[in-house]
Amino acid sequence: MAILISVLFLLLALMGAPLFAVIAASALWGFFQQDVNLQVVAIEIYRLTEMPVLTAIPLFTFAGYLLGESKAPQRLVRITDALLGWMPGGLAIVALIACALFTAFTGASGVTIVALGALLYPALKKAGYSNNFNLGLITTSGSLGLLFAPSLPLILYGVVAQQLALDIPVSIDDLFLAGIIPGTLMLVALSIYSAIQPRDPAALQNKSTFDAREAWAAIKDTAWEAPLPFIVLGGIYGGFIAVSEAAAITAFYVLLVSVVIRGEISLRKLPIVMRDSMKLVGAIMVILAVSLASTNYMIDAEIPTSIFNFISEHINSQLTFLLLLFLFLLVLGMMLDIFSAIVIMVPIILPIAMEFGIHPVHLGILFLANMQLGYFTPPVGMNLFIASFRFQRPVTELYRATIPFFFILLATVLLITYVPWLSLVFID
Amino acid sequence: MQNTKIQRYVRWLHRVEDILLAGVLTLMLILAMADIAMRLITGGSLIWIPPVLQILVLWLGLLGALLASRSQEHIAIDVISRFVGPLGKKICGISGCLFATIVCGLMAYFSIEFIQTSIEYNDIAFAQIPAWPLQLIIPFTFSLMAVRFFFHTLGYLRIRNYQPNPALTGKAI
Repeated sequence: MAILISVLFLLLALMGAPLFAVIAASALWGFFQQDVNLQVVAIEIYRLTEMPVLTAIPLFTFAGYLLGESKAPQRLVRITDALLGWMPGGLAIVALIACALFTAFTGASGVTIVALGALLYPALKKAGYSNNFNLGLITTSGSLGLLFAPSLPLILYGVVAQQLALDIPVSIDDLFLAGIIPGTLMLVALSIYSAIQPRDPAALQNKSTFDAREAWAAIKDTAWEAPLPFIVLGGIYGGFIAVSEAAAITAFYVLLVSVVIRGEISLRKLPIVMRDSMKLVGAIMVILAVSLASTNYMIDAEIPTSIFNFISEHINSQLTFLLLLFLFLLVLGMMLDIFSAIVIMVPIILPIAMEFGIHPVHLGILFLANMQLGYFTPPVGMNLFIASFRFQRPVTELYRATIPFFFILLATVLLITYVPWLSLVFID
Repeated sequence: MQNTKIQRYVRWLHRVEDILLAGVLTLMLILAMADIAMRLITGGSLIWIPPVLQILVLWLGLLGALLASRSQEHIAIDVISRFVGPLGKKICGISGCLFATIVCGLMAYFSIEFIQTSIEYNDIAFAQIPAWPLQLIIPFTFSLMAVRFFFHTLGYLRIRNYQPNPALTGKAI
């Protein structure tokens, strides 16, 4: 019976039933089996009010949507182009950096491809890159940058890990520090690949050089947005403000600039932006809420312990465990979006990984790095579909276009997995 | 005639949800900024702001989830339905929505029980404020979600190529 029910839930999930309903159903079923009063599920949902850091999620998401709706993406591309466009492979590197920065601030929800892709795709084409390369680059860049503060997946991992009462505490600030080198490594690897790309010789005629006047104009143009990364990142890394405060300041500041000062988002449009952003927040939060219940059930039922016992009968080295974990997460990343993957899988995997001596912060970084890869792993990576939809291309063409990018990032993910130092160097 | 009346109620309900959502988000932003300002200016803070913010998160999350169910934008795995024909999509849609209807209904039912217990035990949210009015958002959103998923189920049953999400009707973003 129990197996039948699990298979049924899994089948419903694969058929596209809302994930929160599947998780809620498994929690209800689990508690029902243990004769626990099912009110407990509502009690667990109400526990959302016990986590102060959660205010960061709606506020950062709102700020991200505001930025996406304003002309900030254009300005971001302009300034990175003015400052870095003269380098070999300049424009491609511009695209990578702009996307990474934008994703970090908007939370890897596919907004990057929609907001920046439309600007970068034609520009890359004009610069003489092949169509395949452009599609691949933009699809890949849609999830680049989620290892950098203040990305939502990092925050969410911290929230979930803190629920588990581990021996080694996981602070969100530590996660922000831990993501710096691995995230940069990915950026550098892709930049090198972009710099050696062949380009159409005709387009190389009008080779761009550094133009001090344009650079200055671009800097002036971004005068209002430019302080934002410094305030937020400086504030968080410097320890002056908490994550939730950084989120409030960001949302308030972006609202002020885009609505009042620049007037790029009208008051009439504002409720629509609020609604669109809160849809995503709701979709994430309801999964988080019900998975608090299912996690509680799983810990009660000692599911992570029994999985660990099973695994440790067959595997006893950390190296093998990491390899298996890597393969498992790759498949998981293809099927689940990053937010559900974090709330569903981290409570199971984290205790097991710690038994194998993996640091929880390192696990967070390798988990997210793997998920980042999953965003564009065929056949079902979410960004493949967003790009296919956005650029009106068959999804199979995107499978082909992303292959080289996939293998480059795969190599970096393996490096991040097997060299914990990359993630832990700044952590005490 | 009957239909337009229902549609009017639905539109009215949508508006109430939208206003509530925008109001909660705005309030959250104002309180969060006030908290920071207080800390900078006086070095202290108003004791009630952090717990209110945390309750607003719950409200915002659940209202957002309710909103997402309107156009069926909940996170789903969607492996099978992407690769099957219209009949397969219809079956996936019906089973997924019907399942969600039942689960949301159960959640609404048990959260009402939870609130009854909370009233019995005089649970306090913070200061002197009882918890139960703040908890009402749980059954409110889950019961409306159940209704909404039920209508989506009917939609899949009755309408050919039913697509509740206007953004996915084939037009580019």
